[in-house]
Amino acid sequence: MASGDFLDLSKLPQRSTVASQRWSSLMTIVLVVCSLISVLTTLGIIAMLVYEASGFFANDQIRLSRFFTDTKWTVGQTQGEIHYGILPLLSGTLRITAIAMLIALPLGVITAVYLSEFASKRVRSILKPALEVLAGIPTVVLGYFAMVFITPYVLQPLGDFKTFNAAAAGIAVGILCLPLVTSLAEDALRAVPRSLREGALGLGATRFETTVKVVLPAALSGIIAAFLLALARAIGETMVVALAAGSTPTWTLDPRLQSQTMAGYIVNTFQSESVVPGSLSYYSIYSVAAVLFVITFGITVLGQYIRRRFREVYN
Amino acid sequence: MAISNTLNRTRSVGSRKSFDRGFQIICLLVASLAIVILVMLVTAILFKGGGWLSWGFLVNSHRENLPEQSGVGQAIIGSLVVCLICGLAAMPIGIATAVFLEEYQPLSRLGRLLHGFIQLNVSNLAGVPSIVYGILGVTAFVYMFGWFGQIQANKPPPVEMGASYFYQTKTLGKKWVQFPASDRTKQVFVIESSLSAFNESGQPIELNVIDRSATAPTEPELRDRTVYAGATASILATKRPWYFHLPFSKSVLSAGLTLALVILPIVIIAAQEAIRAVPSSLREAAYGLGANKWQVVSTTVLPSALPGIMTGAILAMSRAIGEAAPLLAVMGGVISTTNSLGNLMDKSPVLPVTIYRWAQDENPAFENLAAAAIIVLLVFLLLMNSIAILVRNRAERKYA
Amino acid sequence: MHETVVQRPARRSSTSFTTGDFVSDSEMVLSSNPAVRRPQEFKAARPGRPNPSELPVAISIADFNAYYGDFQALHQINIRIPQNHVTAFIGPSGCGKSTLLRWINRMNDIIPTAQSSGSIRLGETEVLSKSTDVVGLRRHIGIVFQKPNPFPKSIYDNVAFGPRLHFKASSSQLDQLVEWSLRKAALWDEVKDRLHKSALGLSGGQQQRLCIARAIAVGPKILLMDEPCSALDPASTARVEDLIFELSEQYSIVIVTHNMQQASRCSDSTVFFYEGRVVEHGPTIQVFTRPTHKQTEDYVTGKFG
Repeated sequence: MASGDFLDLSKLPQRSTVASQRWSSLMTIVLVVCSLISVLTTLGIIAMLVYEASGFFANDQIRLSRFFTDTKWTVGQTQGEIHYGILPLLSGTLRITAIAMLIALPLGVITAVYLSEFASKRVRSILKPALEVLAGIPTVVLGYFAMVFITPYVLQPLGDFKTFNAAAAGIAVGILCLPLVTSLAEDALRAVPRSLREGALGLGATRFETTVKVVLPAALSGIIAAFLLALARAIGETMVVALAAGSTPTWTLDPRLQSQTMAGYIVNTFQSESVVPGSLSYYSIYSVAAVLFVITFGITVLGQYIRRRFREVYN
Repeated sequence: MAISNTLNRTRSVGSRKSFDRGFQIICLLVASLAIVILVMLVTAILFKGGGWLSWGFLVNSHRENLPEQSGVGQAIIGSLVVCLICGLAAMPIGIATAVFLEEYQPLSRLGRLLHGFIQLNVSNLAGVPSIVYGILGVTAFVYMFGWFGQIQANKPPPVEMGASYFYQTKTLGKKWVQFPASDRTKQVFVIESSLSAFNESGQPIELNVIDRSATAPTEPELRDRTVYAGATASILATKRPWYFHLPFSKSVLSAGLTLALVILPIVIIAAQEAIRAVPSSLREAAYGLGANKWQVVSTTVLPSALPGIMTGAILAMSRAIGEAAPLLAVMGGVISTTNSLGNLMDKSPVLPVTIYRWAQDENPAFENLAAAAIIVLLVFLLLMNSIAILVRNRAERKYA
Repeated sequence: MHETVVQRPARRSSTSFTTGDFVSDSEMVLSSNPAVRRPQEFKAARPGRPNPSELPVAISIADFNAYYGDFQALHQINIRIPQNHVTAFIGPSGCGKSTLLRWINRMNDIIPTAQSSGSIRLGETEVLSKSTDVVGLRRHIGIVFQKPNPFPKSIYDNVAFGPRLHFKASSSQLDQLVEWSLRKAALWDEVKDRLHKSALGLSGGQQQRLCIARAIAVGPKILLMDEPCSALDPASTARVEDLIFELSEQYSIVIVTHNMQQASRCSDSTVFFYEGRVVEHGPTIQVFTRPTHKQTEDYVTGKFG
């Protein structure tokens, strides 16, 4: 076959290119099918929620308008009137999310500013892993921490906080979202080209002035995207609220009281064994989940859109 | 003159500089808050739960009202099994999707639309709350949209495989005998006449049926296989390890598959990044040697991207092991099972759900046990992340 | 075959090579201006080089135009590349020489906006036709890139990659093939004791020779080289250039280079490109010492590019 200068490959049997091409096309189809599974998941979620939630509203007792306006939620309780206003659950979600964002957003952005503008290599090598560890902590653990530490040792000394209250859950969700905000905001700040900073510094601005007057405004839409994505995460958070916020929906702004969120309601209902397919409780899960999904999906889509547009500007 | 007046009115550089330094200090303090919180968290957990850790804790399972004898043994096994199923399901699909998104950029307009749609979908799925995945898991895996009917108590599932049904009864000699059941829907069987059965050691025997009014035999060997006519035998199912039924109902299989859906977007995104990191010069070399698209992917791109994909997969699984919400929906708040995990259709406690249940228990001692369980969970996470980092470093060294 | 090898320049009447175009060593033409960097040493002047007009045509490019989207990179290219001959493509950056090279084995298929018209024929096969089996085509055309790009596998696996794709060979046949390719690429002695170690442990020059071995292992007839030495140090460059000289006994080689000394050292014929057009195509000595176009003269004397 090979001798001296001459290479005679015609003696070797060749693999047919047609066969390997056919195999390649087959694999392409396999890959497309696998990719469609993720699409199927989204469609499945939407279809399921729509179908079952309509089962909720098909019930004669339930009227759509009352769903959105009533201020009491008593589905699942066996006595008394059935109230099915989603507002208390929304209010619980809102309270906890607001507290969480009040913590995560300022702290996260400032931490991101520090990491991207000021931090030395040594500080970065400690801080970034710490944030990654914080991000990896399971939500049950944070819920436990809120229940067992934040409420008794941080909040109750400050005021009349109940055992299950919105504030502790809010703080824990804020801690949960902090690494996410920091990482996304840092990406946004790093995307701002160095030339902008150098221009400001060359004009005699201090680092503070450069950051606040030049870099942050330039990274603004990226930071807004970070906020939106963290918001979606906070709204959908389940275990923290299930452990720390209680299981009674309340229609109030007071953070010291119990407040069940939409996600918390779903989990609490699954736990109680009264979920029989076809019952009112069963359907109520789907309708609450539908509202939850619409809100979080909408915010996520918006946040991803802004984030993509932001990246295009600086690329 | 006018100029010097203007210059006098400029802000003093000194004050701006001290402001700047103050700002840097504030930033540092805020940034270190993350570390402070982390330290507080770990300390609180260790403080509360450290005293309850023991070898027995790792091996025992939950005992109602007996915190000293309760443990996370079943939960650990359950978590590992669920994670394994989750990984086996999510990884092939996730890697395949990532390969498609990165390597197969289509030229036709329709193809590009499909491609963009899938990519968009993946990014948005990452933001869906895990409880919604739990609900999807319940509908799709536990109840399977009602296609196979529902599982009712005391009745066998509509479609099943790998189970053998026996009737079982106690003889006069207080020994158990079993015989195969011909109709698995009948819960009880009334024994009228003699039939072949198996004794406790599995040997075939002939069941001796005597009339109620007759005198009972005295010989032990005969008593061991005698029953009165009219005795009832109740049904018993032995399930092989590959036992499997439709719909899946609340089982570790449903739990694993649901978790796979939860981490699928994460796996896809991580795999995409790993594939993107493969330099295009390698692809060019492979194309230049006459490889077709799939050959380039399978011989060059995937092997190079594999360490990155593995790292991403391990990190995704460490996310899965801590998820409680979807599992609460799909398996319920299982805290202990009578038998240990025998097949995929069994339910099982898992670590995060156990932590959740113990934290809510009225007995305050269980609250401390929950902290101990958290420590076990965190140790697992630490292990998995260390493996991921090890894999990444080894890969970097190999190709340095 | 007496095909015309040279594009018909307006002023010259002769359209084919004559032996008079090949000067002997003693008649090397020196530039009149000693400060100019015109190449001095010519491969084609070495004894034993065949006359290109007597060689069959390996690649025949006719009326070829190439586009990237709306931008036309190559205009009406007409070239015949002879067999067992080294043809150099030279020209300033952006003139289209790499583009043409990559069209010859359809590497530009990966780029969605790349389009072409005209014809590139390899024997009976029309390379540009949609129905051409591109994978099979690339078995007959090997390519070596500017920056060495060995796979992160062992040296053996790098060379065996192509043969494993295209042939069913037993492991002893593969061993033979790998050894032969590495010997031909003048790399065997340096790596024979570490065939199964990672290819990334080799130096830059060795990696490039490995890429050459890898390319010839599938038995191509044509070798395309896109600035193969630009990422190498001078010592490795010299070795690769010697290798190119040896390889031209068996392969038809097209080498793209922006280094004129290299073109003069390695190639038999040279094609000078400017802004997507062929300005001059002829024996290397002639293109460098007595070009027919002023542009060529300016380029080879270093006035631009």
